[in-house]
Amino acid sequence: MSLLNVGARALLANQVALQTTGHNIANVSTAGYSRQSVAMQTVQGQFTGSGYIGNGVNVATILRNHNELLTRQAAAAQAVQAGDSVRSERLSQLQDVFQGGTSGLGAAITDMLNSLADVVASPNDITARTVTLTRMNEMAARMRSSAEQLQEIQYSVTEQLKNDATRINQLASSIAEANEQIARVRGNGQSPNDLLDKRDQLIRELNQYIQTTQIPADDGSVGVFVGGSQALVLGSTATSVSVDESQLFPGSGQMRLLFNRPGATPVELEEGMLGGGEVAGLLRFVNNDLAEGRNLLGRMALAIGTTMNYQQTQGLTLDGQPGKPLFSTPASIQGYTQGAAQGSIDLSDSSKFSPTKFAASDYEVRFTTPPAGQVVRLSDGKTTAFTDLNDLRGQQIDGLTFDFTTAGAAGERVLFKPFASAAANIQSLVYSPRDLAAANPVNAAMGTSNTGTLQLAELKAVGPALTLPPDGDTANTPPAFPGGIQLQFHAGPPATFDVVNQGAAPPTTVATGQSYTPGQPIQIDGWSITLQGTPQDGDTVTVGNALDPQYGDGYTRNAGNASALMQLRDVKMFDESTLSDGYAGLMAQVGTRTQSAQYAAKLSDSIASNLEASRTAVSGVNLDEEAARLIQYQQAYQASAKMLQIAQNIFDNLIQSMGR
Amino acid sequence: MTNFYRVSTANMYDATLRNLNARQKSLVDLQENLTSGKRVVRASDDPVAAAQAERALTRISRIQTEQRALEVQRNAIAQAESTLGDAIGLVQEIRQLVVAAGGGALKPEDRKTYADQIQSLREQLTDVINRKDTNGIPLLGALGSALQPFAGPLSGSPDYLFAGLPGQAGSSGTAIATTLDGHSALMFDPRRDGVYQAGVSTIPADRSLTTSAITAVDRNQITGDGYRVDFTAVGPGATPGTTTATYTITNTATGVTSAPVTVPDFASDKPATIAVTGVPGMTFSISGTPAAGDAVTLQPSSSLMSTIDSAIEGIGGAANNNAATQAVGQALANIDAGMERLNNMRGYAGELLNRADRITGDQSQRSIQLEADRSRAEDLDMVQGISGFQNAQVGYQAALQSYAMVQKLSLFNFMS
Repeated sequence: MSLLNVGARALLANQVALQTTGHNIANVSTAGYSRQSVAMQTVQGQFTGSGYIGNGVNVATILRNHNELLTRQAAAAQAVQAGDSVRSERLSQLQDVFQGGTSGLGAAITDMLNSLADVVASPNDITARTVTLTRMNEMAARMRSSAEQLQEIQYSVTEQLKNDATRINQLASSIAEANEQIARVRGNGQSPNDLLDKRDQLIRELNQYIQTTQIPADDGSVGVFVGGSQALVLGSTATSVSVDESQLFPGSGQMRLLFNRPGATPVELEEGMLGGGEVAGLLRFVNNDLAEGRNLLGRMALAIGTTMNYQQTQGLTLDGQPGKPLFSTPASIQGYTQGAAQGSIDLSDSSKFSPTKFAASDYEVRFTTPPAGQVVRLSDGKTTAFTDLNDLRGQQIDGLTFDFTTAGAAGERVLFKPFASAAANIQSLVYSPRDLAAANPVNAAMGTSNTGTLQLAELKAVGPALTLPPDGDTANTPPAFPGGIQLQFHAGPPATFDVVNQGAAPPTTVATGQSYTPGQPIQIDGWSITLQGTPQDGDTVTVGNALDPQYGDGYTRNAGNASALMQLRDVKMFDESTLSDGYAGLMAQVGTRTQSAQYAAKLSDSIASNLEASRTAVSGVNLDEEAARLIQYQQAYQASAKMLQIAQNIFDNLIQSMGR
Repeated sequence: MTNFYRVSTANMYDATLRNLNARQKSLVDLQENLTSGKRVVRASDDPVAAAQAERALTRISRIQTEQRALEVQRNAIAQAESTLGDAIGLVQEIRQLVVAAGGGALKPEDRKTYADQIQSLREQLTDVINRKDTNGIPLLGALGSALQPFAGPLSGSPDYLFAGLPGQAGSSGTAIATTLDGHSALMFDPRRDGVYQAGVSTIPADRSLTTSAITAVDRNQITGDGYRVDFTAVGPGATPGTTTATYTITNTATGVTSAPVTVPDFASDKPATIAVTGVPGMTFSISGTPAAGDAVTLQPSSSLMSTIDSAIEGIGGAANNNAATQAVGQALANIDAGMERLNNMRGYAGELLNRADRITGDQSQRSIQLEADRSRAEDLDMVQGISGFQNAQVGYQAALQSYAMVQKLSLFNFMS
């Protein structure tokens, strides 16, 4: 009798084992499935006089092969991988906006400045001027289109973020449901393997979007936390998240993940708090990489626009008028803040900013103890302190002046994005070729009795406050005074010169004994003259006003200001790189970011796949192993069936031998 | 059972698929490199090399622009040089005519004919020196001038003006000047050149009184004013057969007259040579037989054209042989001074053209070097590229074949 029972129990146990093995084989490719194995337990032996006689086998439970630590690690690594790879993809897109070569933005800038060489060769040729103005228009158009492409990328990233937020919310509510189901069946005594697998898979999917930490609770549910401490799922309640602009800096375009607690203000989570996941990677891309790309492009547009405008206003057009700006640049930049502080950066007064010192970064003005505080350069965190609003107004930080009318409260932060819109709005303003200010406002003449070897290398107006030399006498003939500023040389050695103002009779000496070095620019009154050669005693050079009536229309055949515009190519403007090399530096910077993001993506990819291999080494199904187990349990089943047969035989024998 | 030796089937396939994808991607990337010929297709492939290639391109395009501008400049200077050549030719013809007009046996009508010929040549000279280049800029316009840099002949003094800014524009390592200093070529500055014209008052036919060329001894002393030497007294000298003469020098601009200078006695039967040193910075000598009341006037010459004009006046309107000889002598001396300046300027123009050639040579070398830099940074070494591609191809093939083979091995195949 007991043999029958043992056989029956063994049969059942092996049947369960076979079914479990079949279940494993069936689910070999199911994502997140943890392989189940049968835990057999021997039935308590029965006490008899001859010892404890065993009573067969029981299935104690179906074990879920699962390592909590490895699962958590694998999920976290996948989160990091998702974040890195989405950031790397988007950076490749960003990199494609800044192409190099002969069709890139850098070539447009170089061609524009090089076309001025034709204007220098023939100053009154209208065609050469038209070509230059066309190239300027083209450069402005290219900058606008690059800025537009960046805007498109931002738009598509924002859309992806919104979709991801929706998905996170869906997953969170699914996890909450799973939590509830698991808690409900917990009282049954057996672990709900499939429900647990489903919940783990949901958490793994959630980690693709945002990295989470899981804390198991007593009732079998798992609390899911994002950003370290915000409870996304707690028991069976899920909180929603959304993606929106930061309320700390309204209007600035900085994106944040908002955690919408019911009945309270949303908590803003920035990418640093989020760890990994697609949302974190995209936020990092939008707030850092895209912002840097936009700043680099904007800085180039603003610096080129303002310096060319400045030089153009120094010169004379073909009609003898001072030049008007060539490009439209923003007049002032407002700060973004939630509080009461009002501040702006003035970009219309050329004495308030220095384009050669611009750094491609956003700035935050933090009022620590108003009115004192510090200005933080966000690209690298460098801070500059200020004691009050006048102190802040009086210094130029990276070439910018921050002008506040109202200070903020303690702890208030004001965000400035000086370069964000410069490239999107740059327009070429001069269309008529006569309005290109190619002529110098001053001219130079050597003294006719010079015996030295002085030659004129360069003459241009540099500002900031250009004072034109005085005109000659128009009242008398012969004129009582010739006008202009005369440099009178002494051979030395060392060679020196005096500066004499010939605007009245007798002339007045302005400076004496200035040292002369051939090839070094001499700056007086906002213009600069460079001479080559050695002077003899008594040699003179006279610098006059180009519009002085005694010189007639000579200025129409002068292209000194066009030369000065061309020389802007060699001004160190972008972090020690010259204007013409600025684009190469920009490409390299974006390329380096992209390359390092690619390396990071590869690295996190290999870590994630290694951890996943480790996890599936515990939880995954190996078909060969399952096949072996099939054979094993089949044999055991057969043996158990045989056992039943034998038991039946014994019984039959017993009955037979008893019966008559 | 330990899990060290376990591998999940699904994970195995996933890992292999990932490797296959990675290999395929690298194969495709290498193919892209081969078809574009570039090792660095995007900046992220090698940011430093991409930046180097971009900078090299910028510099190459700049050299091309500079060369184009240099061609324009070279053309302008070549035209200026040939203009100066034409001017020198005209002045040489004028000189020959002046020499011919100095012949002693000529009648006033002949001299008038010569004067007319010289006049026509002088008009041609004025046209030549006012030439412009293809862009309408005067070739001899110095640092900036009116459309006609040489204005004249004007009534009043001076009779020729340089309507522009004298001076020479410098040349650099990549460009040369586009205009030449016309003032230096054709105008005279008293202190720089010391060119003076001397004229004598009308001398009756039986005497002769001419001057030598006026030479500058100390340029710093030259005032640029006009002077007049008046012979106040000429009479017999101490020794019989000698004559003594006294003269004063008057500065016609300031009106200051010097003290009378007495010439040492000279023989009366031979023409005397009287050296005059009283004019600041200049000396000249008067030869002939002076008489009281004779005057020699010295005027600074403003330009080569004024000298030629004075020659035309002096030769055409010569009252007698003496006046003609005087005019011819002065003209020859001053024309020579002018030609020297023209030749100097022409030599400088030639040197500028040589400089342009040297610059072109340098620039083309630099251009080749920059192209090599760009290629080294950006381009693919074809041999390396093809061998890499073959390797990747073989590796991919091996991965595919092994995947297919491993997949066939399973315990299920051996279970009946």
